[in-house]
Formats: sequence, C-alpha cells, structure tokens
Amino acid sequence: METLYKVIGIAGITCFGTLLIKPTKPDFAVIIGFTGGVIVLYLIINYLTSIFNTFNSIIEKTGLNGSLFTLILKIVGIAYLTEFTTSMCNDTGNSSLGDKVLIGGKIVIMVMSIPIITSILQIVMDLLPT
Amino acid sequence: MDVEIIFKIAAIGILTAVIGQILKNSGKDDIATLSTLAGVIIVLIMILNLIAQLFETIRTMFSF
Repeated sequence: METLYKVIGIAGITCFGTLLIKPTKPDFAVIIGFTGGVIVLYLIINYLTSIFNTFNSIIEKTGLNGSLFTLILKIVGIAYLTEFTTSMCNDTGNSSLGDKVLIGGKIVIMVMSIPIITSILQIVMDLLPT
Repeated sequence: MDVEIIFKIAAIGILTAVIGQILKNSGKDDIATLSTLAGVIIVLIMILNLIAQLFETIRTMFSF
C-alpha cells in the first residue's frame, strides 16, 4: 500500500517539477516527466513478480507446457515497453511517431502469437474424431 | 531510485539556464550555448543509466 503512496508522491512531484521548469527550460520539462514515468514504472514492476510466480505455480500444477506461458510473458513485456515508448512520444509532442511504435508493437505481438494459435489448432485437431 | 533524481535534474536545468543568462549578458554568447548543451548532455546521461536499469529489470522479469 505504501508503494501506492510513493507512486502518487513521485507523480505529483514530477508534475510540479515539469511545471516549474517549463518556462525556463522547456526541454528539461519533458525529461523530468520522462524520469518520473521511469521511476513509477520501476516501483510498479516489483509487484509483477508475485503475479508471475503464482501463474508459474498454476502452470506447473496443471501440467501445461511452460513455453506457452513464457511466450505470453514476452508478449506482456512487449506491450509494456511499446506503451511506455508511445506515451513518451506523445509527451514530446510527436504523436504520429507514437502511433507507429504502437503499430510496430502490435505486429511483433502478432508474429509472436502465431505458435500459440498453431498449438490451439493442434489441440482442437486432436479432439476431433478423425 | 527515488525523488532525488528528479530534483537533481531540476537543479541542473535551473543552473544551466542561469549560467546561460549570465554568459549571454556578459557578451560570451557562444560559451552560453555550449553551457546549455553541456547541461542537457549531463541530464541525458543520468537518464540513460535510469533507463538501462529499467530495461534490465524488464528483461529479467519478462524472460526476454
């Protein structure tokens, strides 16, 4: 719970920092905003480990092959990074670049999800009474 | 990994602005641009370490 307070505090300080710096040095305002974002992400990411560990244990119990889960992890990571970059691009003003990064991220995720689709089809095919 | 890096960057920003103004008023415009450039570069290097740390965590976390 106290991490949430930390996140709120850092976000508030970053917003005021950017406001203060904007008249004197506008480029530093963007950098400060970006740093605040990185710090908040850094704080939040520790929570993800517990989630992924529970998922791992569930996967082990059910006996599914772990490769699918690591693939899903990779996809979540890619989504995480692309969203981070897109918001950074939007902050600095070039939102068109952000959209292109989004498209790139979607394509990469699509490419990585092909094995999942094929494995699902494989399972369905096995079920069918041929 | 806390707020002090934000304050450091704000301080560097204000410092470079002040130094730039002083140099500009005293007539040395080229040094003023150099000083602002130096300030920006220092801040970017600080940010670089932060981002490298974050990406390292993400890499280990999501088993890239």
